[in-house]
Amino acid sequence: MRLTSESLTLRYNGRDAVHEVSLDLESGELIAIVGPNGSGKTTLLRGLSRLLSPVAGHVLLDGDDIRAISSRDVARRLAVLPQEHPEGVDITVHELVWRGRAPHQGILQRATATDHEAVAWALDAADVSHVAARPLGSLSGGERQRAWIALALAQQPRVLLLDEPTSFLDVQHQVEVMALLSRLNAEGMTIIAVVHDLALAGRFMQRVIGMRDGLIAFDGPAGEVLRPEPLEEVFGVPMVVLEDPESGLPVPLPRYPEGAVPASNG
Amino acid sequence: MAGLTAEVRTGMSFLVPRGRSRRHVALACAGVLALAVIGLLTMMFGAVNLSAGEALSGLTAGSDSLSGLVVGQIRLPRFLDAVLVGGSLGVAGALLQGVTRNPLGDPTIFGLTGAAGLATAVSISINPQIPQWGIALAAMIGGLGGAGILFVIAYRGAVSPVRLALAGVALSALFGAIIVGLIASVRTFIQTTLGFLAGGLYGSDWSDLRSILPYAIPALAAAVALAGRLNVLSLGDEVATGLGVLADRTRLAILVVAGILTASAVAVAGLVGFVGLLSPHIARYVAGSDNRYLIPASALVGAIIVAGADLVAKLIIMPSEIPMGIITAAIGAPFLLYLVRFKV
Repeated sequence: MRLTSESLTLRYNGRDAVHEVSLDLESGELIAIVGPNGSGKTTLLRGLSRLLSPVAGHVLLDGDDIRAISSRDVARRLAVLPQEHPEGVDITVHELVWRGRAPHQGILQRATATDHEAVAWALDAADVSHVAARPLGSLSGGERQRAWIALALAQQPRVLLLDEPTSFLDVQHQVEVMALLSRLNAEGMTIIAVVHDLALAGRFMQRVIGMRDGLIAFDGPAGEVLRPEPLEEVFGVPMVVLEDPESGLPVPLPRYPEGAVPASNG
Repeated sequence: MAGLTAEVRTGMSFLVPRGRSRRHVALACAGVLALAVIGLLTMMFGAVNLSAGEALSGLTAGSDSLSGLVVGQIRLPRFLDAVLVGGSLGVAGALLQGVTRNPLGDPTIFGLTGAAGLATAVSISINPQIPQWGIALAAMIGGLGGAGILFVIAYRGAVSPVRLALAGVALSALFGAIIVGLIASVRTFIQTTLGFLAGGLYGSDWSDLRSILPYAIPALAAAVALAGRLNVLSLGDEVATGLGVLADRTRLAILVVAGILTASAVAVAGLVGFVGLLSPHIARYVAGSDNRYLIPASALVGAIIVAGADLVAKLIIMPSEIPMGIITAAIGAPFLLYLVRFKV
């Protein structure tokens, strides 16, 4: 399943947040969108997932304009997980994940074997089977995030878009969520995620798109684009890129600012 | 599906809520039984008291016998009116509470009762001899208008639950004032007028039932059909859109259905308060928050409340009777205070 944008212009809070962005997101890719706050990356994700209508340009899902396809039909192929989840949803994980079957279920239609299988698979893949009977409010932050991912997985999407799926999570849960995305991608799902943490993007994602001021600043394989110069251009701070001693993958870090005194260990 | 094995499937089967649906069936049977008992008592007691046997035989007897006349022409239609009014109000309340994510959601609090009542009062003051179907039609126009106004006033890019509630309270107060003014200017039988203002089923018959059936039944069916989408909408607009549910369109559809159901109740029983507030809360105790169960359960609870309240209203100061809405208010008002104190 191929997701394409053609000269996509999106407006957010009364100003153009994404300017004429053209992207080709191929089937089976594992893509991070990075950039500073206000660079338009969340707006781009919302535009790609039809949560936001474009001011100009198109988003094409397998060549068809996403606005021309029924929203339900899109939801059977493409799932999106916004960064913030509503408060006060007092249902169990199991009930939440079942709602992910909505685009596949007709009015008054009873749950089919496919529905049951999809829910069981989603709970299992997101590793929330053991908390399925618990209310969302009783879960830890990591469990809750994985429960919402399970909701998106129950849609059985070919393309999954996520907005900062690791924010507010501790290190262990960040790694778990990124590993889950890698696994899903290995099974053939196209993954597009806004990622704040460059080190996570460098080590878990294959292709990295850098945004600044609503434009694409760089786009390419993680190993090629996560270099100091493109990153400095996007983030506006001097960068250094280390190599993960185990995998050889890039680990970008901001350089020490001039005048800052490194903490000494005595 | 990749990653799914037979082992996972059997391992997960306990998660399928089979036991719950059996419990739902048992509770639904208990509710229907309770309604049937209220129905039997309604057929038996009143100005003329009948035995259970006489009442049941009256259901099938022609109107030439006393029991046939009392049961078939007076008590049965009034009971069915009560069931439909209560069911409609219960579902309207469940829809409004769901769509606004507000536990105070209620057709009266949100101004729908007032809008339908205003249109009814206007139609009666223009033509005091207006037939029942005309009253029902006027109520529908008012109910739909109320739903539309509620949606438009509350609409600023996205409908916020708080704005919706505040707009409803303002509309309610305005409509209520105009209704009292109009009713006061029309000379009609005092018991009918009182029954309309406080909400009651005094003298309601088959023509009342026939006048609202074409609106109430499709609206109840639509409410059940919208339940799944309402579930998804409760996850927030963005998640709902991601799941293929168009948030604003669904919200408008739900408000329209709630408006029609409220208008159905108002056309027959006048300004009955608190049923739409109470029923979904009671239903939630037994059916949970899944709207596919909650909406039918709210209909059943609403029917029990209104039919029960009407029975009490009829018998409490025999040989006269008080408007049924006074009974629902007597239960509902303390409950509203409880909600405000502990749940909001």
